[in-house]
Amino acid sequence: MKRSLQLLRPVQQFKDRPICGSCRKELRRAASTQAAAIAEDPSQELESNSSFNLPPPSEQDATRFDPLKSTRYREKKKQALPSSRYQYRSPRFDRGPLAPHRPPPLTDPASRQFVPGPFSQSRLESTYHSTIAADYMAMTYQHRPPGFKPPEKGPRLRAWEGDNPYFANRKLRGPRGGDVLRLLRKPITFRNIPMIERLTVHTYCRDVIRSGSAVLHVAGMVLQEITGQRVITHKSKHPEQGFGLQKGIPIAATVDLKGEAMYHFMDKLVNVVMPRIKDWRGVRATTGDNSGNLTFGFEPDVTGTFPEVENNYDAYPPKMIPGLHITIHTTARADKDARLLLEAFGIPFYGKVVD
Amino acid sequence: MSHALRPVLRSSTLPSLPSSQSSTTYLCQTCRHARLLKRPKRPYTFTQLVALSDGSAFTMRTTSPRPVYRSSRDTRNAPLWNPSSKELLNVEEDEAGRLAGFRARFGRSFDAGRDTGAGEDTTVHTTHEPDNPASEKKAITKKSKEPTDEDLDAMFAEEDDAQMLEMISNFGKPDKGSSAQLARKKI
Repeated sequence: MKRSLQLLRPVQQFKDRPICGSCRKELRRAASTQAAAIAEDPSQELESNSSFNLPPPSEQDATRFDPLKSTRYREKKKQALPSSRYQYRSPRFDRGPLAPHRPPPLTDPASRQFVPGPFSQSRLESTYHSTIAADYMAMTYQHRPPGFKPPEKGPRLRAWEGDNPYFANRKLRGPRGGDVLRLLRKPITFRNIPMIERLTVHTYCRDVIRSGSAVLHVAGMVLQEITGQRVITHKSKHPEQGFGLQKGIPIAATVDLKGEAMYHFMDKLVNVVMPRIKDWRGVRATTGDNSGNLTFGFEPDVTGTFPEVENNYDAYPPKMIPGLHITIHTTARADKDARLLLEAFGIPFYGKVVD
Repeated sequence: MSHALRPVLRSSTLPSLPSSQSSTTYLCQTCRHARLLKRPKRPYTFTQLVALSDGSAFTMRTTSPRPVYRSSRDTRNAPLWNPSSKELLNVEEDEAGRLAGFRARFGRSFDAGRDTGAGEDTTVHTTHEPDNPASEKKAITKKSKEPTDEDLDAMFAEEDDAQMLEMISNFGKPDKGSSAQLARKKI
């Protein structure tokens, strides 16, 4: 094997270069003899020909070559090439789908709104794909003997029944006992294993009403420090007489985390921040919005134990460090499934479980 | 198994992937003015090595410029995450049995029944260092020294003696409380 490779190498070497056919034949013949010589002295493998040995261009060619002149000629003809320093700039404004100069898609690095990344693979995400997903499917497996048919459920929306002639073709009625249509929980297969979709960190600064916006500024700084993302502020939607809150005052800040940033935040939260909370039993198991999104909150002193805040704790006025509400949006259809997923990620739950 | 799962999980609609497109390819049908395309602002992030208390480490993107973060308290040594670990249990070290003695004497409702628990504690302690036979022996002897009823009686007797002596020495001296009582009686 090794021997044949040795023979092949010189042939391939010459194949790449344009050589006349007869020469190639000759070389091929010579290759076998060369191989032995190369094995003895590897320096023979180097090419003997060099461009230095070639004759210089003729006098005529040298005088005829004038790049400056040809450029001027092209400019005169209005066929000038873009300069070497030309760079595409995507338009500053989106002027609608019919405008001639449309901005490039967001995935294009030339786009103004392009966000590079991800720059790292989070350990939590790889754990999810390698371990948690398969474990989750095994844990939620429910055996169905062959031939088993689950009992048919009634329709989620009821038809209008009665003698009223207006009931014909009327829009279907909502479920009994409320208008809310809960999400349908399907059996978990390899296609719909729940995963964390996004994570929202939210803080509501009520002190803004009393002492001005400084609290919100500090809260925004802390959130940005913790999450590594820009903060979005929210204005109050409704006036609240009891609090003295007017409408339209910036009062809350949120960060929406997805992908890489989300997993890094989650990792930090579970492994570093949560274990340091004093006398904490975990997240209350009754949390959730019935559709697989779980929320829990932290006191301001817990926010202070994030490694980034702890690093320069003196940068923030200690009374203005905000508490947090963290909502984890999962693709699970029920809280029970979401809880199981988050337990696999390492978030402890306590208390009575409501399914 | 997991590798078989992977292709499906890694579909184009993976929620873990940033899908900012949906929000920004929003086509404004009603507004006809030119919309400014803002450049997204991104805080600078560093890669930080997080060293957990058991020596394991992982990297993390963070805004903190510190290259290494060493945590003293994390999931590896928190009792909530290690419920079966005996080392992390909050065990009361009561080798001489003094705390148990105190509890036996002054213990109230929730403390009263704990003197059996103290014995358990000491046994836990002995199981901690079985490699050192001397200490084990010591612990056993101390366990035998645990306050029995006779010991407690002796302690009470000592204290009773002390109280008696005090009463005798104070006899005849005008006490503050007694003088006040006398004054009250006179009135």
